[in-house]
Amino acid sequence: MSDSDLCASMKKRTIYIITTSILLIFSNAKAQMNFSKDSLALYSDTVFITANKSERQVKNISVPISIISGKSIAQAGNTRLADVLREQTGITLTSGFGAGVQLQGLNPDYTIILIDGEPLIGRTAGVLDLNRIAVGNIQKIEIVKGPSSSLYGSEAMAGVINIITDKKNTDALSANIRYGSYNTKDGNISIAKKMNKISSQTFYNYYSTDGFSVRPNSNNRFITPIYRSTFTQNIQYKFSDQTSIDGSIRYNSENIKSIIAVANNGTTIYSNGKENNNDLNGSIVLNHRFNEKIKTKLNTYYTQFESKQNLLTVSGNPYNDLFKQNFTRIEDQTEWKINSSLNSIVGFGWINEQVNSSRYDNIDSAKTNTIQYAFNQWEWNNGKKWVANAGFRFDQNQNFASAFSPKLSLMYKANSQLRFKLSIGKGFKAPDFRQLYLNFTNAAAGSYSVFGAVEAQKVINRLKDLGQIGNLFSNYYQLKKLEPEYATGIHFSAEWEPNQNNEIQFQLFRNDINNLIDVQQVGNYISGSQIYSYLNIKNAFTQGFEIEAKQKFTNGWSSSFGYQFLLTGDKDQIASIKSGTVYTKNENGTSRLLRLSDYVGLPNTSKHRFQAKLNYAHSNGFYANIRAIYRSKWAVANTNGNEVYDDGDQFGAGYITLNYSMGKPLKKGWAIQAGVDNLNNYMDGLNLPNLAGRTIYMTLKYSTQNKK
Amino acid sequence: MKKAIGKGLVVVMTSIFLFSCSKSTTTVVAPLTATTVNDLPADTIVGITPQGQPYGAGKYTFYSLEKNTIIANTDSATTKWDLAFNGTKILTNGGTSGTGLGGAFVQVGLFDELKTISTDSVFKTDNGPVSYAVTYGSGKGWYTYDPIKNLITPLAGRVLVIRTATGKYAKVEIIAYYKGGATLAATAPDAEKISKQRYYTFRYIVQPNGTKIF
Repeated sequence: MSDSDLCASMKKRTIYIITTSILLIFSNAKAQMNFSKDSLALYSDTVFITANKSERQVKNISVPISIISGKSIAQAGNTRLADVLREQTGITLTSGFGAGVQLQGLNPDYTIILIDGEPLIGRTAGVLDLNRIAVGNIQKIEIVKGPSSSLYGSEAMAGVINIITDKKNTDALSANIRYGSYNTKDGNISIAKKMNKISSQTFYNYYSTDGFSVRPNSNNRFITPIYRSTFTQNIQYKFSDQTSIDGSIRYNSENIKSIIAVANNGTTIYSNGKENNNDLNGSIVLNHRFNEKIKTKLNTYYTQFESKQNLLTVSGNPYNDLFKQNFTRIEDQTEWKINSSLNSIVGFGWINEQVNSSRYDNIDSAKTNTIQYAFNQWEWNNGKKWVANAGFRFDQNQNFASAFSPKLSLMYKANSQLRFKLSIGKGFKAPDFRQLYLNFTNAAAGSYSVFGAVEAQKVINRLKDLGQIGNLFSNYYQLKKLEPEYATGIHFSAEWEPNQNNEIQFQLFRNDINNLIDVQQVGNYISGSQIYSYLNIKNAFTQGFEIEAKQKFTNGWSSSFGYQFLLTGDKDQIASIKSGTVYTKNENGTSRLLRLSDYVGLPNTSKHRFQAKLNYAHSNGFYANIRAIYRSKWAVANTNGNEVYDDGDQFGAGYITLNYSMGKPLKKGWAIQAGVDNLNNYMDGLNLPNLAGRTIYMTLKYSTQNKK
Repeated sequence: MKKAIGKGLVVVMTSIFLFSCSKSTTTVVAPLTATTVNDLPADTIVGITPQGQPYGAGKYTFYSLEKNTIIANTDSATTKWDLAFNGTKILTNGGTSGTGLGGAFVQVGLFDELKTISTDSVFKTDNGPVSYAVTYGSGKGWYTYDPIKNLITPLAGRVLVIRTATGKYAKVEIIAYYKGGATLAATAPDAEKISKQRYYTFRYIVQPNGTKIF
């Protein structure tokens, strides 16, 4: 079958699925409608834990938040966290080192990802690959945007994404199996067990795919053959009404078959091999309520991440890379309800982090950082028009400067339908171990060296004694303890719920990021080769607005719409452009001055983004939804001979993707689901390597809870 | 002694003043127009090593700015040429590279706006292989190299200020390094990136009267 035949047949199949579902919708439309019980997420008394580090009703939270329910994840047919977040307002997924999350224009480095409040580690170049996280056992995902959630410490600068797993307090068994295009298999088993004082939830996910290529016979794949498995076990033991203990363990393993083509100097070297990533998380949480007013939570958390890459080039040269990180945290958080309107949380903790990497001076010597921190938060809510929340966190770091992160937020409830929120906060991101400890000399390309900030002066002084240093630049003498990168965010939002079936949110935001760490040349070897290190030098901003609207119609239909407008920029580059020292190329190759209007800001950021969703749910359980996601063009590379991103550079083209899914419960706890992701088969191998072509799938589900 | 230096300075400064003054009053200003050279080959690729590295024949292309023509390699030891091209390396006819008075420096700015070479400019001469008057290397002189995309892009806003073999002054702007006068797209096939590279398109002006004013 030729490509075009295949395409045509896929189109036919897609059309068939759509028509069938439309027919199904109409055939069911006559049946008696039952209003779905769950109202719009924000309207209700839903609890939200991430913003205040303690459970609060959504309507009392004074910072901008959003919630993605487990149900909507399941109905959308999403299996990985990346699929879920791709469809949210104001979130863009980045490519490169896996799928990273870009919140309000800030890089993946600046968003902390939590599972049940515990941070995930294992980032490559700052990116935590969202495909590592299976979403089959999720109750909901909570998102807090902006650094007003700074109580979480490093990385909580653009926001916090907290994945709340489903801790059913009952007996249940559910399983599902899915098969889709590219020989993609996904299976989940969830078992929940409730005994007298113990409840337990077990979850296992298996995922594998043959990967995806633009050219079916090519070695080069966008998405490489991969298999992943995740195992999670949670146990809660209730000693008494006052005291309980929660234990949880998660193990995730992924094996990726790598066929890597490394292009350098026009030579493409193919290497074969595999990449193996494992992460393990374990936590024990002791909850105790002293009395009506005071409760405490003592939390011990350990996580480790190990990434191994073993490659063999076609000519037989091995390339092995190892990265191992572990993170231990002990934290205590005490909540004191002073009176009916005042509440305070005090917490303190200790973190120890260790990294071994084949890119540091010695793989066997672990690089360590220890952090001691404390936080305090005050909430005031007298149940009337105003809610206020103020807090701070202080982090004392061993290897870099300490960080102070305050936050303040206010909410004014004009009436039961209209709320205004204003929040200001400061978040930080700790320098990563690479920026502190890298000790890398590239023998293949000109013997340049990059030294982390902790090592640089030591190593360079040693080299100087050996007579190897040619000259040192003035910024060598500026090398010092790295400061954390800071963001100050201001968010203003208005939320309007004219009635139970409509909700509109508007949000204005501005984030100023200071002290960005960048690699800079600090000197030369005698041979002329460059020496680089890391300095806090750059400043940037992101600003814009978001609009989100949700509607519920009378006959089972509902829709949602979200739009984000985003402007970003590097402040120093803008200053250079204004001072007339930045040039660009005309069409004919000659140079001219760059105008500020040519400047497009930070790479990988899109000015416009929208998502729309149309959903139908019938009282008999049938549902169908179609989702559209649009992203406008974004700069990917500097191609016109200056160092700033402007209109003349290379862009990824704006695009839209459509996802469709539908499902229906069958008898005796069984259900089926079918869907098509990327219905319009949009592909851009160069700029969107993580976006697979049209993917058709079918899922069979079983749950004891659906049995009635 | 101090006085003598002081006097000397006065003399030098006065003469510069007089010199520039007399020039601007007596010269009939012929408008200088830029000459564009298209697709000048600069040791184009003739083969690929077993390791996959493309290579040229190792020859320089010698060029006379004044005559606007290629000079034969047999004349490399003369003052007939002003610039010599080999890959991304550009030589001037002086120092370790030639017998002429050649020198150069790279100025950040616009070609059209460079009307006068400032008197305190320092012309460097070639000191191969350590350093060259037209600074050699990605991001240092007139171009950047992207190893991933395997493309050479001329930097925007760079003027090569040249002293020719015979001591006249010229300014040069490199427009492209690929055949056809434009940098190839990142998506161009590797074969095209190999076969079309090392062809210079540039524009220049020589001031034939020996002054630093264009």
